[in-house]
Amino acid sequence: MSKMEEEEPEPEDATVESETGEPEVDADERFPMAWDEPAGNRKEPEERENISQFVEKYDARKIVTGEAKYTADFRDRIPDLAEGKVLRSEIAHGHVKSIDTSDAEAMDGVYAVITPWSDVVPDRVYTSAGQSYPEPTPWDLTVLRKKVRMVGDPIAAVAAEDRETADRALRKIHVEYEELEPVLDVEAATDPDAPQLFEEDFVENQQSGADYSRNLQSSFEGELGDVEGAFEDAENVLETEWETPYQNHCVPEPHTTIAYRDEDNRHHLISSTQVPYHTRRQLAHLFDVPIRDIRVEKPRIGAGFGSKQAMVIEPITFALSLAADRPVIYEASRREEFHAMRSRHPMKLKMKTAVDDDGTLQAMDLFALSNTGAYGPHGMTVAGNVGTKPLPIYPRVPNVRFGADVVHTNLPIGAAMRGYGAPQGHFAVESHVDEVARELGEDPVEFRSKNHVREGDLDRISGILGEGKKHARRIRSCGMAECIERGKEAIGYDDVEQPEDDHRHRGVGVALVAQGSGVAGDELGAAHIKMNEDGSFILQVGGVDTGTGTDTMVSQIAAEALGCDAGDIVVHAADTDIAPFDYGAYASSTTYITGQSVKKAAEDAKETLLKWGSKLLDEPPDRLVAEGGEVKSEVTGESVTLEDIGYESMYGGDEREQVMGEASHSTDESPPPFGAQFVDVTVDAETGEFDVNRITFAADLGVAINPPLAEGQIEGGEHMSLELATSGGYEFEDDGTPKTLSFNRYGMPRATDHPPMETILVETHEPSGPFGAKSIAELPTNGVAPALGNAIRDAVGVRIHELPITPERIKEQLDEEE
Amino acid sequence: MEIKIAINGSEERFEAKQSDSLLDVLRRHGYTGAKRGCDTGDCGFCAVIVDGEARKSCVVPAKRAEGATVETIESLGTQDDLHPVQEAFVDNTALQCGFCTPGMIMATTAYLRENPDPDLDDAEAREAIDDVLCRCTGYKKIVESVQDAAERMDGREQVAADGGVASDVEERADDGPADPGDGGESA
Repeated sequence: MSKMEEEEPEPEDATVESETGEPEVDADERFPMAWDEPAGNRKEPEERENISQFVEKYDARKIVTGEAKYTADFRDRIPDLAEGKVLRSEIAHGHVKSIDTSDAEAMDGVYAVITPWSDVVPDRVYTSAGQSYPEPTPWDLTVLRKKVRMVGDPIAAVAAEDRETADRALRKIHVEYEELEPVLDVEAATDPDAPQLFEEDFVENQQSGADYSRNLQSSFEGELGDVEGAFEDAENVLETEWETPYQNHCVPEPHTTIAYRDEDNRHHLISSTQVPYHTRRQLAHLFDVPIRDIRVEKPRIGAGFGSKQAMVIEPITFALSLAADRPVIYEASRREEFHAMRSRHPMKLKMKTAVDDDGTLQAMDLFALSNTGAYGPHGMTVAGNVGTKPLPIYPRVPNVRFGADVVHTNLPIGAAMRGYGAPQGHFAVESHVDEVARELGEDPVEFRSKNHVREGDLDRISGILGEGKKHARRIRSCGMAECIERGKEAIGYDDVEQPEDDHRHRGVGVALVAQGSGVAGDELGAAHIKMNEDGSFILQVGGVDTGTGTDTMVSQIAAEALGCDAGDIVVHAADTDIAPFDYGAYASSTTYITGQSVKKAAEDAKETLLKWGSKLLDEPPDRLVAEGGEVKSEVTGESVTLEDIGYESMYGGDEREQVMGEASHSTDESPPPFGAQFVDVTVDAETGEFDVNRITFAADLGVAINPPLAEGQIEGGEHMSLELATSGGYEFEDDGTPKTLSFNRYGMPRATDHPPMETILVETHEPSGPFGAKSIAELPTNGVAPALGNAIRDAVGVRIHELPITPERIKEQLDEEE
Repeated sequence: MEIKIAINGSEERFEAKQSDSLLDVLRRHGYTGAKRGCDTGDCGFCAVIVDGEARKSCVVPAKRAEGATVETIESLGTQDDLHPVQEAFVDNTALQCGFCTPGMIMATTAYLRENPDPDLDDAEAREAIDDVLCRCTGYKKIVESVQDAAERMDGREQVAADGGVASDVEERADDGPADPGDGGESA
């Protein structure tokens, strides 16, 4: 249920061919269907006490009363807090020749002015991408920039007594640039004579296929079977091209960080981050400070969606606090959020398939050209997900090729954003597959049903870029067929009534979607739980609640394992000093990874709980169960309350101990959740204007721990997908200066822009997940764009290849048809 | 300068700068339920009720709030005794990150006082919150909460008397954010 962004294991080799093109002989042995599931992991609905039910969101009451504290709300708790502000480049490409800060420094109320040449500002390169170590991302950033590569690059920063003073000080800093020609076109960027963004030896930790002389951050390809051979022998071949725009996270709470030195002479950060533990490590490396001397605390955060799976503003705030020798807060402005922080990568995609006359897909070939903008955080891994998330929807296709080029331009930085490449990939794959069906004269749903994933499939496509243990996965839970059936029924697929007006046409489109549950083989979650005298528990967990409901979800899982009430679990999360380690909130990992660590920790505590129950009831532990707030004998029916055990275990006469449990969880598994997105649209064939009548999403997320929160994830994901489909994108001046700098200009959908939505949860049981759960957060960001395009194709027969889908683009296609 | 505001039922005097917005003053004095999301009047996370109407406090100049009656999220219920609108949001799981929630709740409250209707339809509920953005929920559960709140409010809260001292508080739509460096679309 986490709403985070994917991070795929790096494509280790530029080209990874399967040796034979055939499934391995020992595949059944290496990737067995059977899973050694712990006892009690599978619970029938009537046995569930805390999961699969409404449990009030853990932080709901403090949120609705305005008492929830976000980073900026800590202002009045920290005396002498200075205000940080950043001076950003006004040109897209060039060198900073000089910075004169003397006027700013002379101002009253200005505590520090820092530039790339300041002692406290490190020179070394790093990445902002909040990923595992070493990051599968090039180190191409410096805290402040001597060479600027986009409008918005940070050049200098000020700490002052208040915002006004800091702003006035910024205006008194004088910068001289030597301008260079900017690279603004992603296709021209790799020309040999294009201006070069990076000197080759500047970037460390370079990734597969990097060639900075051609502005290439990464380039990779993987193949299964023999794709060219399949095209030669094909009965039908279709080739299509697609394009997707920039998308902004529109994260409600702008990036905000407070940095100060505490009374123990340690560095304390309160920060709106999805990755407090990665940030602690990265900050320690960047500033050469021991990890033990840094504490990162995540308070409530006003959502992330991937924008905060990154150490974006922490280094500047930290440097300012060192230079000013006092606490500093830096709260990014909305304008900065739109041009200087992070965005979804714009992409151009090509898809080619070979298909038999009977509708069997024989080959899929997908290529993505991704614009990572001025820097490359998450560049390669996002591009990897373009193929490895949607293509496994059709896992029995024997010949598959997928590759990408990730290219630099002097435009805003592409990075992690909910879906993490999968929305772009699904737009290409699910639009293309729809077109294949229509060209063959088949119903698009029927066509998909012949080819889509089923329980028991061996999916080798998700591992097409890797090798070794991660290169295939067994599909142990799959509700795709039920998602399609229930979605069809809800949207009225078989009975679409046409409007009376001759020029208005109604159509229904579908897109199948898939994602992952964490990064296979590259995650760690850990939890600790301890019991109080009254039978309540304190759960310490690294999982980062970005608003999704993580704290609620972990309380439900712990309570289900311990047989108590979710309300008896107090959650302390995501403070690097207090809670155990966690990779953070991204890649739809939180329920599957963090949730499993919590379940294991609770089961660890339960062993001690039963031991004490055994002592008090004078029966062996294997006859005892924990349920309903008691430990009960299954033989005699006698019971003791958790409170009885709490007091006895802590204050008993002969022996004393605290009931506690702890666990880590890591795994090579990442079971995909599946879904079917339906869109019902009416198009005016004279004007191209369209109305989305309703949208329906049916999701197989395994077992939903908290169904209303899961529905909220789906509806919010569809909102983002609807925006990408109909209103995303940035505008720029000819010199690369961004024009899209506010919510209004950007056009984020409002309540009245939204069609009615229907949300359907399809339960399956994933044996490797906690109580059968998979994930849900990113899955629904993938479907509306292709399903809307398919619905428009269904309604008026034209195909829109470029997002956003607008009346103008539809009209243009309609005119061409005539 | 000093401004006098009737805030959450008590007359208070606040020190303010010429350039301050009402949001600046509120947040500086501990009313941090109102959130800063844009400073340009686009997102509505800072909505509070000024003289009976929901206003985006980031574009209300502090000096124009002199003499006004202001209600913030802090004036509604407590965690142990929620206001019906707050209850509806909690019971419908109509919140995720919560950053827009105070604005949503204040916009809903103002709307329902003006338009009491236990059978509020979907379109009206959307209209009630159209000035407040939400990035997490797709608005569905919020719209359902607004409808639920309308039903719960019926008879539980009288239409508030619009008795502010100054009725001339207007949104400063033309002259941009309080803080020019924090930029916006005003240029």
